[in-house]
Formats: sequence, C-alpha cells, structure tokens
Amino acid sequence: MRIVKLKKENLFPFLEVISKEADLWAPVKKYEDKHVFKAVEDFSEIDLDYQRTIIPPRRILLPPKTNMFEATQNTYKEDFSNVSKKIIFGIHACDVNALVIMDRFYNFAYDDPYYTRARENTLILGYSCWPDEHCLCKSTNTHIVTEGYDLFFSKLDTHYLVWIGSSQGDDLIRKQPSLFNEDISDKDIQTYLNWQKEREDAFQAEIDFIDMPDLIELKYNDPLWEELGKACLACGSCTNVCPTCNCYNVYDKPILGKNASKIVRCWDACTLENYSEVAGGENFRENRADRLKLWYTHKLQAYISKYGKPACVGCGRCIVSCPVDINVLTVGKTLSGEKVDAFWKRFNLQVKKEVRK
Amino acid sequence: MKGDAKTTVHANPFMPEPARIIRTQMLTKDVKFFQIRLADMEKALAFRYSPGQFIMLSVLGAGEAPFSISSTPSRPGLLEFCIRKAGTVTNALFRFKENDLVGLRGPYGNGFPLEEMLDRDILIVMGGLGAAPLRSVLLYCLDNRDKFRRVILLHGAKNPEEMIFREEFYSLKEREDLECFLTVDSDTTGEWKENIGVVTALFEKCRNINPADTAALVCGPPVMYKFVLKELVKLNIPKDQILMTLERRMKCGVGKCGHCAIDYIYTCLDGPVFTYWDVLHMRELI
Amino acid sequence: MENSKLKIGIYELTGCAGDALLILDCEKELIDIFNAADIQSFVMAKSDNIEGDLDIALVEGSVTTEKEIEELKDIRQRSKIVVAIGLCATVGGIQARFLDPKEWNERFKKVYGNIEMTHTKPVQSKPIDAYIDVDFYLPGCPIGKEQFLIFFTRILKGNPPEKSQNPVCVTCKYNENDCLLKKGILCLGPLTEDGCGAICINHNLPCAGCWGPLKTGNRTSEYYLLKEKGFDVEHIKKKMANYSGTKIASFLKELEKEKK
Repeated sequence: MRIVKLKKENLFPFLEVISKEADLWAPVKKYEDKHVFKAVEDFSEIDLDYQRTIIPPRRILLPPKTNMFEATQNTYKEDFSNVSKKIIFGIHACDVNALVIMDRFYNFAYDDPYYTRARENTLILGYSCWPDEHCLCKSTNTHIVTEGYDLFFSKLDTHYLVWIGSSQGDDLIRKQPSLFNEDISDKDIQTYLNWQKEREDAFQAEIDFIDMPDLIELKYNDPLWEELGKACLACGSCTNVCPTCNCYNVYDKPILGKNASKIVRCWDACTLENYSEVAGGENFRENRADRLKLWYTHKLQAYISKYGKPACVGCGRCIVSCPVDINVLTVGKTLSGEKVDAFWKRFNLQVKKEVRK
Repeated sequence: MKGDAKTTVHANPFMPEPARIIRTQMLTKDVKFFQIRLADMEKALAFRYSPGQFIMLSVLGAGEAPFSISSTPSRPGLLEFCIRKAGTVTNALFRFKENDLVGLRGPYGNGFPLEEMLDRDILIVMGGLGAAPLRSVLLYCLDNRDKFRRVILLHGAKNPEEMIFREEFYSLKEREDLECFLTVDSDTTGEWKENIGVVTALFEKCRNINPADTAALVCGPPVMYKFVLKELVKLNIPKDQILMTLERRMKCGVGKCGHCAIDYIYTCLDGPVFTYWDVLHMRELI
Repeated sequence: MENSKLKIGIYELTGCAGDALLILDCEKELIDIFNAADIQSFVMAKSDNIEGDLDIALVEGSVTTEKEIEELKDIRQRSKIVVAIGLCATVGGIQARFLDPKEWNERFKKVYGNIEMTHTKPVQSKPIDAYIDVDFYLPGCPIGKEQFLIFFTRILKGNPPEKSQNPVCVTCKYNENDCLLKKGILCLGPLTEDGCGAICINHNLPCAGCWGPLKTGNRTSEYYLLKEKGFDVEHIKKKMANYSGTKIASFLKELEKEKK
C-alpha cells in the first residue's frame, strides 16, 4: 500500500490524463438534491459534493437491461457490447464495499461473464464522504475501505491523500507522476486523523447488525411482517436501489420478420408480485409480507450466517427511496425492539382503528 | 457435483447448446415425453449427469425453463424428459416435432446423494409429475441393482389416465428385485387392476423395512408432501435420509438470477434435492 | 406461403383510435408487420377488408352501443385469439368512470338531452371483457410501440409473452428517476401497469395511471399515504379512478364510505 498526495487543482488534469483510454464515469447532479453516475466528457459536470446516487454503481457494470445473446435456431452469439474500458471516479466507501460483495457473488460457483468481463475492464476510484442522517455504513463497518478499489481519494483542505490499492491504480498515477508528490507531512497526517475522528463522530443512524440473524430467526412469525406487507407498495424500489441486489429476469425478444431473437436480461426484484411464480401459475411468495421477509432474511440473516457480515453496506438508499418507509433502518430498529417513526407504522395503527370502527 | 457441473461445454454458463428432439410421445393428456440429444455427437457422448439434476431447455422465440432429467446416466446418449404443458416454453415445446432443434445447457443442481444411498433400502414415493425426476434415480438403482438392497416404489396418481409412465411401471412390476405398488385416487377407466386410494395407503406394504438403513426419496405435488413425510417419520426413517426434490422458479440454473433463493441457499446450486431436515430448518422450502 | 400467415383483424370500437394509429405509426416496422401477417381487416389502414375467420383479432376501444356488443360478439366468434389493446378495451377507458348506472344516466341526459337514438342504443361504457372472453391484454393509452412489437412478434410466432405485473416504478428506477411519491407528489406509479417506459416521470411529471390499474397494486396503502401527505380524499379518488375504468370498482366503493 502506498499513499500519495495530490493538490486539489491537479485533480482535473489527472482525470484528463486517465480518461484518454477509458470512459470516465462520475457523479453528476440530476435533480436539485439527487445525483447519478454518468459517463462524463465535460468535467465541469462532475459534482463531488454528493451524498449518494439514486442507483448504485453496479448499474454501470450490469445495466437494467443487457443483451446476452443474438440467437437464431441453432446459433447463440454472445453480446458483450456493454464491456468497455471504464473508470468510475467518486465512488463512496459503501459502494466500493458493495462491489466487493458483488464480485464475490458473480464469481461464486459459476462465473457470470456479463458481470466479470465488465468488472475486469473497470477501475474503481473511490472518494471520501461525510455521513448524513441516513448513512448506516458505520454500523455495517463499510464506512472505510480495505479492498476493492484501485485508488481512493481522501479530501483534505488543499490536498487529496490518494491510497493506491492495486497495481492498475499505480499505473494510473504513473501516467503523470509529476501531478503527485510523496512527502506527506506530519501536519497532513494530523489533519487526516482529525478529519477521520470527526467523521466517525458524525454518524447519526445506527443499528446493531450482530443481533440481526438471531432476531430474524426469533421473530420469524412476528406480526411485524404482516404489518410491513400491508403497507408495502411492492414497487421494487428498495431492491432496484440496493447496491448488493443482483436478481434478474431473462426474456426472449424475437425479431419481427426473422427467425431470430435477442436474449435480454433485465433487473428483477424479489419484492415484485411475480418474482417467485412458476409456470402454471403457482406463486411461492404471493404475499407482500413473504417477499419482504425474503429480502430482509437474505440481507440481514442469511448473508451474515454465511460470510459473517450483512449484505447491507449502509448506503441509505432504501431509506431515501421507499415511499412508505420500509427500510433497513426502520425494520432493523423494530426488530431490535426500538420505537420508530415510519409511515408503515402509522398506517397499521390507522388500519387497526378502522377495523375497530 | 458442483465442480463437475462447472466444466460444462462453454465458458459462458448461459450459452445453450443445440440439441435435437429424437422422439416424443404423449404420456397423459397434458404431459409429453421427450428424448433429446445434443446435436454435436461428441458433446452428446461426453455429457455427464447425475439422477436428480436438471437442465435448462430453450426455445427460440419463447424463452428458457428448467426441467428435471427423467433418464438415467446408466443409459448414456439420450436425455429424457416428461414435460407438462404449463407456460410459454412448454407450450412451444409441445409443438416441436422429431428432429427439431432446441437449446440445452447444464446439467445443474446437486442430484441425489448416490454415495449415501449405497447398500441401503431405497423407498421411492412419487405422485403426479413427481415421477419425472424420480424415474431417473429408480432406473439408476435398477441398472446398478447389486449396489442397493431392497428397492420399493410407491406411485400415486389421480386416475389411471394421469399416471405418468403407467405402462413402463406395469412392466416393472414383473421384476422380482423391485417391489412396485401403484395406486390411483379413483379408477376412471374401469380397467385398473392395482390399488385404489391415496399414496399414503401404500405404506402398509413397507412396514417391515429397516428404517435406519433406508433412504426415502419423495417427489410430488405440494399436498402430497405433508402426508407422505408424516408416514416416513412414523416409519422412523431418519430425517436426513428422507430426500426430496423441489421445484422453484429459475432463470439461470447457476446461482445468479436469484429466483430460487431460500434463506442463504440457492435451489439451483444447493438443491433441488434436499433432506427433510433441511426442509425443517429452512422454513420456506415447502 | 401466403396461406401459412396468420389471419389478423384490427378493430376499433369507441375510443380515440390512438392504438390503431400507433400501429400505423410503426413506420420502420410497418412493412414487416404486413409481411409477417395476413392483415384481413384494418379499417384505418386499408379499404379491401375481409370479415371472415381470423387467427387473431386485436380490438381497441370500449363497448358503448348495442351495435358494438353485436360486432364484438361476432369478432369473438370468428377469432381464435382475441387481444384487447389499449386502455379503453382493457379497462373501459376514461368513459367507463361513471360506475353507478344512475349517475351514468343522468350524465348522459345532461350531455345529449332527451334525444332519441335511432340507429343504435347507447349503453354504459365497458371494457370488452364485460361481454366476451379475452385471451390477452395489451394496455396503454395509447399502447407502447416497443411493447406492441414484442407482443405482436411473439403472438405471431405462437409464443405470447407471460403477463408482466410490474408497476411503472420498476422502469422508473431503471431510468434512475427521483421518486415523486416520496417527495409528496401524487404519483400513481406503484398502482399502474408498467410498459410506458415511465415516460411522464422521465420528464418530472407524476404518473397519471394511463396504462391502467395494476391488478395487485396496494391502493389502500397509497391512499393513506397520500392522505397523510395532505391530499383531499375526493382528489385522490378522482386521480385513481381516472384511468381505472371498471376495474377498481370495489376499492372506489370503499373510498365512498371513507368520505362519509
């Protein structure tokens, strides 16, 4: 591991150099207070002062709709048109950690070439961030990075400290080493440590994930799930915005006038109605409650049992996306017996009142 | 098994391989029997699988779906399937004729734990389309008869017309090394000479098994499990020697699409064969 | 070769003819459409129409006269497959909003006065499945080009697609839009069938529900959510009813009770 220093005014010149051979993706403002990752050519569009993008960066590696094959009666031609050299700049620690989870998943048992080929061609340039009231990453221990990045930029007053996390990251620095310098002063170190400490203290949201597997097991038949199911709009947003969700559907899109098809995969969500429906109409999870239970069991219990940590990186996207406040924070807190203020709670009180009337 | 499966024909695990329909035959009014072979003869001969595994079949213009293999690896070359007309893919498959091409990839899943079944009594309980995956392991046991002790088959269907492989099982009744009992809920033909009643009534025939040394294999419609499992536990067969093969929605077969996830397992990787013990501690399995 | 092509009829009942127009608007693919199928009847596109047995009938528009009921039953009788296309055929359209027959009668008199209808008797607007069995539904107001072409190609090849029951939100998130409902705007995305490409929300406008109501949509929850966000009961009801035709009648009746 090597750490170098980059003057703030040298950032764009550096991006200029490295974007010559790869598409540069970076956060840009889409709405007043919402950002997205976009392939940028005009660097003035880049807005590093962002909290979280609407959709996590996995979208860049496997877009919502991906062509897998061009098929005819007996030939299947692979379509890897999404695979190109990319650099994703400005990814926060939670999203870097999410990609580590995705890398492991897509390599497990069988290699998913549509993900891994795109991933192998993508460099991850992380960027430091400051928590808002929805950031849970300290609880999931994903507010810092230990792996999964090629470079990681920590913003200080006039400089960036740049962690070099891989040989390919080092190659990027070497493209124009004059932009960087290696003499990190005691003052720089102190500034960084102070910033680090202040950031640690700035987290507001918190859940104890250690207890989650037990709690989910113990509360498997708790009325909580029915309450959530009653309020859930089954819109699929929590899954689509989750950086560690990976479910997809496949469909055959025939071409009119030809005996040929495109085989397309598109994001699916376990919270949607026909996620678990098999041919013939049997649906293994017809109730919204069962589907939510699957999602939360998968994120907060199953993954912890298997890998010792949750499949939640605390990015807070489900918190800012779910219209009825069903998210890791409200569900986690309720499981732990804490009181929460959420629409789904108020809604169920209302429904109970109606019934009494 | 997982290791074996990984060495499928293509680096891209989603790539189907052209396969030819060799023969088809209606088994019941909505279940059709297919014999299929990979079009490339070398690949066809190299194709290895285990009873209880499944493959993905794709039809151009319609899509792809999982099917359990009904043939046994002890009779290599042809793959056999019994397929019920249920969705778009199966509807398309029913229109296919001999010599037509489909896409095939696999095999996937864990299959039955044959090693653990060796030198044991094998009790196979099938209902309805549950015969599709269990015929594979039944024929495998019969082809390797000296490796197993008693082989008992209990097969139930609604009526004789809906009994899959009826003729085949009739002829198996003649074998002295197989105890084969067939039953139907009701006889609609007037020609049924076997038992009438639910499949659990056939358990009378296997009271004298040695439960500790028995592997019970179950597959059938969801309602059947409840009653059959109760009987098997009553017979004192250990829960981890009761094996069942389950159906789930699957789009990939290789643990990526997520549709078959239950708790931390994927039916396509860790199943479709599970023990009754698995089922008890993973609540969503049945 | 000609004989092996499927015989298709495209029919318009009461509506804006937008769905038929959309089919004609598939300029790039139009020749392919006519090449791939034997279009027997398509009044908007050609004059030499033959009204005989059909493999597939695509029916647009809602049923609003007794003559149309007869026409529809005739189409059903001579077609192997009937597909309802567009909002009017699938749910009854905006004109099917007046669910109470009494209210409909009053409204009819208010608009037309006491006119004697001579050539056919008008009836309260209904979706085509109120009179005949429908094999497939292709919603939209009007139907979407991409969705139509996929559906048409698949049905021509004998492989109709499985019905999707996703809400608009799914595509809306694919497009990385900000959730308007979360912001407190009355957006019907979660209650509306997907297929439009989330076109309104892409332009920062809330979903009005024009693809018709999602069968499994959680209307009760969204209703309470909107109420909590300060929307008036009558306003919510109007918005939800607008493009729902006859399909969410029981839910709307529940809302009536709520008002009292």
